[in-house]
Amino acid sequence: MLSWSMELTSFKFLCFFALILIIYYLLPALTGGRGQRYVLLAASLIYYVLAGNGLLIVCPLAASFATWLCVRAVLRMGRENVTERRIILIIELVILLGSLAAFKVFGYLGIRPGGYGAPLGLSFYTFILLGYFLDVYNGIDKGEYDLAGTVLGGMYFPLMTSGPIVRFRESAEQYSKPHLIDYDALVRGLQRMLWGFFKQLVISQRLGKIVDSVYAQGSGYDGWYVWLGTVCFAFQLYTNFSGCMDIVLGLSEALGLSLPENFRLPFLATTISEYWRRWHITLGTWMRDMVFYPLLRSRFFMAQGKRLAARFGKKTGKKLNTWGAMFVLWTAVGLWHGGALKYVIGSGLLHWLYIVAGEATLPFFTALWTDKLQIDPKNRFLEALRVIRTFFLVCIGFVFFRADSTPHALLLLLRGLPWRTAAPAGGGFFAMGLNWIEWGVLLVSLAIMIAVELADEKLSAEGGIRAKIAGLKLFPRWAIWFALLFYVVLLGEYGPGYSAAEFIYRGF
Amino acid sequence: MNREEVLERLQPVFRDVFDDDSITVSAETTSADIDDWDSLEHINLVNAVEQEFGMKFDMGQILTMKNVGEMADIILSRI
Repeated sequence: MLSWSMELTSFKFLCFFALILIIYYLLPALTGGRGQRYVLLAASLIYYVLAGNGLLIVCPLAASFATWLCVRAVLRMGRENVTERRIILIIELVILLGSLAAFKVFGYLGIRPGGYGAPLGLSFYTFILLGYFLDVYNGIDKGEYDLAGTVLGGMYFPLMTSGPIVRFRESAEQYSKPHLIDYDALVRGLQRMLWGFFKQLVISQRLGKIVDSVYAQGSGYDGWYVWLGTVCFAFQLYTNFSGCMDIVLGLSEALGLSLPENFRLPFLATTISEYWRRWHITLGTWMRDMVFYPLLRSRFFMAQGKRLAARFGKKTGKKLNTWGAMFVLWTAVGLWHGGALKYVIGSGLLHWLYIVAGEATLPFFTALWTDKLQIDPKNRFLEALRVIRTFFLVCIGFVFFRADSTPHALLLLLRGLPWRTAAPAGGGFFAMGLNWIEWGVLLVSLAIMIAVELADEKLSAEGGIRAKIAGLKLFPRWAIWFALLFYVVLLGEYGPGYSAAEFIYRGF
Repeated sequence: MNREEVLERLQPVFRDVFDDDSITVSAETTSADIDDWDSLEHINLVNAVEQEFGMKFDMGQILTMKNVGEMADIILSRI
């Protein structure tokens, strides 16, 4: 198979990126500011062939071409041609969602057409391109991109690993503008990439060993060990996925491009709804705009809303109707993560259940806190409890996410009861792939990450922690970045063949 | 129908959707002025307004309207 390890943390990728960076900023000097987007386009195509499975590049190219054609067709029609517009919409949906579904089903059944797996970035380019079409269809985007612009918008290479799921109007527009070299932006971008490397290579890799020990079939780690493994997985996934975003957004920043954030301290959320506004933010907004709102405006849910309001009263009827639409929404979110039942439960329906239960019991708790106990429902202690509760609920979802299957997840939850705590013979804290030094490195690194990200959030109005460091004197400023660089180089776990960590979200 | 008349017809729709008879809408009313007017209720509100006036808005218009005045303008442009 034509495939060449091109993970974002690999040495090969860094060389590739350095080359792109040089050409990207040198070319405009020769052409008078034009042509940068062709550098990005060529880089994206080359990257795809090298990192993906070679020939499967025809899939994103076909999806881009179809989207470009459908956008042209919709723009050519007047808004009054309702039927024709709808036919184009259906064609676009069938082509994009059809190929997404087909590859997911193939993957689920273990079929590899022609020896290939799914195309690289399938879920990401599908949603980005479909989002573009729907924005044009809904009159939000003017749809001004030519074929090259559409291909680049859908296949911009950093997005092919794990997103973010950008909207054309906030990304593609920037690709076509000239970007002169800006030393500050370049340095800031590289700094953010380094931070992503730190989270990926130093923290995520180490956490992965603990998680693998606990989640191996018949591992013998029960009780509290299951929860240790699960909390480690929560942070493994966070450092892996958000670290990947730091690299993607950082390298885009170095190219003068500003892409939307995908994470904002998700484990500090006080409710599940808030969690989804902080974790994988771009997926949440995409699903809200493209699935949830259209559902609520569909004939079925509008009629259903009336029926329910007549039967249960206005307030309850409205709630029930919203929960019904949410059920479809969360099933879609679960399916996006993969066809397997464990994803539909762990990343979908379980979260739906949490939100519904939360909304249904809200009046009771509000009455309890304010009327019965006469305490402020927003006091710090209760808020802290809510953060812990929300994290725990999210962790239950992660058990499904990480386990091999739904039965395995249920078994782990059963075995995870605290009084069953047991380690296998010869097992224990220091036999989970990390010795005491490694544990020390992990805990210190986690503490650094948490402290830095909290500080960054606090300083966000002043440009975050990088701006703060940039304001320091020359010596301390460079000392900090060199210390981080050496920390990553010395303590990063590079895995076999100097290739990077597996990006967990790459599989989707 | 002029803008004033549209606003007059919008008022009962708002009162019904937000279940609050003390609401008075003007062209300058925004989501910040009404407690329950979040992004979800916005969709419910638009659904109700569409039924009142017998028309369908674009998703683009729904997501970009900034106040009740803009909502009235969209309605007027469709009549």
